[in-house]
Amino acid sequence: MKIRPLPLLLAIASLSALPLLAHHSFAAEYDDSKPVQVSGVVTRVEWQNPHIWFYVDSKDESGKVTHWAFSGGAPGQLMRRGIYKDVIQPGMMVHVDGYRAKDGSNNANGAKVTFPDGRMVFTASAEDKIPEGKK
Amino acid sequence: MIRSAAFVAILAASGLYAQNASIIVPRTADGKPDFSGTYEWPKASSGERCKCSATVFDRNLMAPLKPGGEPFFEKPNGDPRHDEPRNFCMPAGFPSGMLSANAVQFVQSKNDLVIVHEFQRMTRVIPLDGRPHRKGLEPMYLGDPVGHWEGDTLVIETNNFKRWGLDDYYYSDRNQYRMHSDALTVTEHISWKDAKTLAYRLTIDDPKIFTRAWSEDFTMAAKPEWDATGLYEYVCEENNRCPGGKCPAP
Repeated sequence: MKIRPLPLLLAIASLSALPLLAHHSFAAEYDDSKPVQVSGVVTRVEWQNPHIWFYVDSKDESGKVTHWAFSGGAPGQLMRRGIYKDVIQPGMMVHVDGYRAKDGSNNANGAKVTFPDGRMVFTASAEDKIPEGKK
Repeated sequence: MIRSAAFVAILAASGLYAQNASIIVPRTADGKPDFSGTYEWPKASSGERCKCSATVFDRNLMAPLKPGGEPFFEKPNGDPRHDEPRNFCMPAGFPSGMLSANAVQFVQSKNDLVIVHEFQRMTRVIPLDGRPHRKGLEPMYLGDPVGHWEGDTLVIETNNFKRWGLDDYYYSDRNQYRMHSDALTVTEHISWKDAKTLAYRLTIDDPKIFTRAWSEDFTMAAKPEWDATGLYEYVCEENNRCPGGKCPAP
């Protein structure tokens, strides 16, 4: 796993110190009454505007795979927070805390990503609701 | 942009803002204050805060609404193209976009000031050569700006706006969009407050909405480290997966 420790620390430390503008309204797209917690493997990352998207395949106990897509901040916004493209890459195991899209699909706001070693990175825009707690 | 080789001290207060005589500011070859550089977005030291990262205008500083000015507080109508047009990559417009929480770069020459905002790469080219406003234009999201110097203060007057959101206050209250009218004129006063900070005043004159013009003072902190990185690209159309909140299946 390729992780830049300093950017991760900066990302955690600067979440409130360097607020950023969302392109969308969280309330317009996501339902804060529907938190989701997904563990799985990252299959694809789109480091593009207006928001990054990363895709996670989650496997249940029966082996059934569910595909999820998580939205984060804009690439430039994240880079000013010290979060670069290599922080999250295909093949990484992640646990994602977020909120499901209002349309009920498996799209969600991916507010907080936790790696197997316990480190966290906040990928959300500042307007997005951040789940409480570590997991 | 030509920056003078030597920094010149301001010897006397001039323009709208009284400036400390000890302030040393960069100047262009023709002696004007040089604002070229990268800054944080305008921030207010006090006043109303948004439930978002952007700066919003302080309601307490606004002039009273005039009769017929009630459309200023427009409500959402359920149509996402109305309720969140930026979700479809529509522009934030000016002054709203100027207040969004991103880096802002000023590039100055004798005859123009170019202001590029990282959010949506909002770009305003402001003539400083004394020309008047253009005539016969369609209303615009960013309006039609012209600038002139009043001592060491740059004054930019912008008009010819399309009716659009004044700021991001609707993140705090979805029932208050704060829509300015097409009669809006925005006047900016820009000067050096100290060696690391710009004083930035916005005056809102919207005779269809307010009984009189009103102003709010902001500051913009110089960020040399952002000069080093430069602005990042922002092409909204690149991967706008969920316009109107409708996403494709993962």
